[in-house]
Amino acid sequence: QDNWMMTTTWPSSLELIEFDKHFVDLANKLTGDTLTIDFFEGGSLVPAGEVFGAVQSGTVQAGADWPGYWAGRDAAFTPLATTPALFNAVDYVNWIQQWGGREFYEKTYGEFGMVYLPYGVTNNESGFHTNKSMTTLEDLQGMRLRVSGNEQGRILERLGGSQVSMAGGEVYQSLERGVIDGGEFSTPNVDYSAGFQQVTTHWSTPGWHQSASVFGVAINKGAWDALDADTQEKLRIAADATMLWSLSFTEKRATEAYSKWDEEVTVERYTDEALAEVQNVANEVIVEVSCESPTAGAVYLSMAEYLGNYSQWREASAPYNLGRTPNGPSIEELQACVDG
Amino acid sequence: MTGLGGESIALIMFGLLVLGLMMGHPLAFVLGGTAVLGALIAGKPMVLGIVINRIFGDVIDNYTLIAIPLFVLMAQFLSNSGVTDKMFESLRLLMSNVRGGLALAVVFISILLAATTGIIGASITVMGVMALRPMLQYGYAPTLTTGVIAASGCLGILIPPSIMLILMASYSPLSVGELFAGAMLPGVILGLLYAGWVAIVAAVRPDMAPSVQPDDMPPRRELVLMLLKEAMPPLLLIFGILGSLLAGIATATEASAIGAALALAIVIARRRFTLAGFYDALKETGKTSAMILFIVVGATAFTGVFNITGGLRATQEIIRGLDMEPWMLMTVMMFIVFILGAFLDWTGIVLLSFPIFLPIVQEMPSVDLLWFVVLMSIVLQTSFLTPPFGYALFYLRAIAPKEVKTTDIIKGVLPFIGLILLMCVAVALVPGLVTWLPATLYR
Amino acid sequence: MIIKAIDAINEFVGRIVVVLAVLFAAIIIYDVIMRYALNAPTRWAFDLSKQLYGFYFILLGAYALKHQAHVRVDLLLERFPSGVQRVVEILGYVIFFFPFTWVFLTRSYDFASTSWAQGETTYGAVALPIYPLKAALCVAAALLLIQGVSEVLKLIFGRQEIVQ
Ligand code: NA
Ligand code: NA
Repeated sequence: QDNWMMTTTWPSSLELIEFDKHFVDLANKLTGDTLTIDFFEGGSLVPAGEVFGAVQSGTVQAGADWPGYWAGRDAAFTPLATTPALFNAVDYVNWIQQWGGREFYEKTYGEFGMVYLPYGVTNNESGFHTNKSMTTLEDLQGMRLRVSGNEQGRILERLGGSQVSMAGGEVYQSLERGVIDGGEFSTPNVDYSAGFQQVTTHWSTPGWHQSASVFGVAINKGAWDALDADTQEKLRIAADATMLWSLSFTEKRATEAYSKWDEEVTVERYTDEALAEVQNVANEVIVEVSCESPTAGAVYLSMAEYLGNYSQWREASAPYNLGRTPNGPSIEELQACVDG
Repeated sequence: MTGLGGESIALIMFGLLVLGLMMGHPLAFVLGGTAVLGALIAGKPMVLGIVINRIFGDVIDNYTLIAIPLFVLMAQFLSNSGVTDKMFESLRLLMSNVRGGLALAVVFISILLAATTGIIGASITVMGVMALRPMLQYGYAPTLTTGVIAASGCLGILIPPSIMLILMASYSPLSVGELFAGAMLPGVILGLLYAGWVAIVAAVRPDMAPSVQPDDMPPRRELVLMLLKEAMPPLLLIFGILGSLLAGIATATEASAIGAALALAIVIARRRFTLAGFYDALKETGKTSAMILFIVVGATAFTGVFNITGGLRATQEIIRGLDMEPWMLMTVMMFIVFILGAFLDWTGIVLLSFPIFLPIVQEMPSVDLLWFVVLMSIVLQTSFLTPPFGYALFYLRAIAPKEVKTTDIIKGVLPFIGLILLMCVAVALVPGLVTWLPATLYR
Repeated sequence: MIIKAIDAINEFVGRIVVVLAVLFAAIIIYDVIMRYALNAPTRWAFDLSKQLYGFYFILLGAYALKHQAHVRVDLLLERFPSGVQRVVEILGYVIFFFPFTWVFLTRSYDFASTSWAQGETTYGAVALPIYPLKAALCVAAALLLIQGVSEVLKLIFGRQEIVQ
């Protein structure tokens, strides 16, 4: 009979917490009396940025997160969490479950004494909310945009914009008063509940800065090892079931939110030329980051290999396939970085 | 689960808080010590790791809180230069025909300050340093003086921009903009209620709010010049901060740095800059900022342990056990917030009560969530003023001279607590006070 | 002797650290100017000013204690005779202050050494090292603890005589 405390990086108001609740609910049902997970919403035990440390030190047994928050400890956490202009949500599911992606989560979190169960994916993030039309890269020149992430900032600056770092709570007001020219935050439903439609007039899709995202739970290794194999298996089953649920859940919520956005602001797409150039720059930055960090490089290489390997069947099955084959970074360049 | 139940832990931790305060130990360490003892008594010493996680994540790694030292620095630059004392003298003379003129000045300047920041500690320190000495010197009753400064200083957390409203938005489905718009009217009206009360007191009890002696009165032309010279710079400063915010030049946090720089520029322009005075301002700012932020440190430790040891859950169960009509439940919830306000800071109350209250409120079709949250933020105004645990009382105690008794401060805020409750009734009866502005701006 | 040494350390630290406020104010203003006037916001101002603020207030906790700047409620205490006052004040340190600072010190030591071993950096626009700030948390706890010792010694031997 084990009792776990589990917390998350998400406050109750952010819909992302639904993934965590769904997982905890399933896990508690499956494990019956052998394990009880006591779930505490984000901020009630430790602040979002400290979830990793609290799990690592064993203060809490489990912490739900978005791996990208821990990129300051290892750059590999970024591609485990999201990619600029590369994977979609199904790519993540494929790669994690069948193309060896799961091992990178186990290995990266394992370095810090934790086990990781990925259990949530979201598709494309919204992208930039602005007060002017932005469909070409010329429109992007000199724009001061709130964007989080290191790779994302580098891409934006190479495209001619300026990255502004800003606490999440300041974005709304800064948009309202024009401190920044635009900003991104999360998926359409989350951005809508943050009220950005009240303070911006335009929204440029797609959100190339984060083509898809992964969420899951980090578990203290000691707590995990104390479970019997049967219970561990049940937690993995709960995680896999939650992942499939999360995909359709967020796509539904984003669809509902999109129609509300469409009524209230002008939604515009970037031109195909702009997106092609974004892809080139994103590839450059991915290779650059891979050369700086061999651990991140190994993840990006595995992702590129998956894309190459899957591309033949994906294209053969077009148009009834799952998404596109991006013109991603070159496997040879990534291999060269990883080999040093 | 081993150890004591949530109810017992909640009782023990509140008991320790009261004990420590009665013993006269610094509040920051009473909160921190209670957190540690609470975890030990609950038989869960391993949860103490969250204390450091919370201090780092909530207080250190928190961009918004940079505004605290910067607004304190702004106040110090102004006060050490003597600019603010002169400004109040000018305002006193300007309002010499108005009974209670200085107290009214405090209210109006507080409303302006409230529109530049949302930090209680900083607002009260600014107003306290600016107005306390001049008011006592001119014969205002210590009770009215401290009451009006403490109550007006708290408006900053209600009138946007406000870190409390930002936190509330991040812990609810409401947007920051809606909350800001919703709290704007009630905040300003509450300020006007304070002004009205001051006017009544001054009319009924002139001894508490004296008017200026005629022989103090300089010639009219001299007075106008003095006003232009003395009162304008700080007012320009306030408008400078507001302006940089409204013009979209800076965020609320950045505006605090601009405020400090403008204050320094005023000091230099008035040829009152000395290196020693500058360094003194830095030292005073350091002490005051550490004092305020260590209370946040203690509070975050306390709240974390309170949640993790089951105090929160116990409270939840009690509330859910009640089966009441919506209006009755609203009243009970607001009463609980009021009572909690006597012991906890707003961060703790918001973090404790939102997870319990909001799901219940959202289930009720007849209750508007925005209205509920704004009503609660008005009730939370009392939390700064109600003993034994009112931060406004503490901040004021820290800057008031020894002659001002703590009991004077407590007596002084009582009528203002009454006015806040009156405002709550008004908002309960006329929900449009909250919902009209957001609906006009955003729909 | 111990009292003088401890007070001197915290006075010294305090007098240096208070100056940091000017630094982070200047960085923030520089960033506003770069962003607003020149349309070229810095990548580092956000994280750097936040870190400097962290060093600033946490290291000043002990300095504030030395100057008795931490807010307390003297409602009941001021009515007791001075001997009782001193005993109650010492008890306050024993019951509340030392348990807290001890946990603060030991836990922040683990916290800082983990971060130090990982070479942890910020994850945003720039990768600033974050372990010095976490180490400062531990140093701040130590400074606070020894200042508490000094304050208790002052209470035991009588604050007045010491101050003379
Ligand atoms: Na405010
Ligand atoms: Na109170």
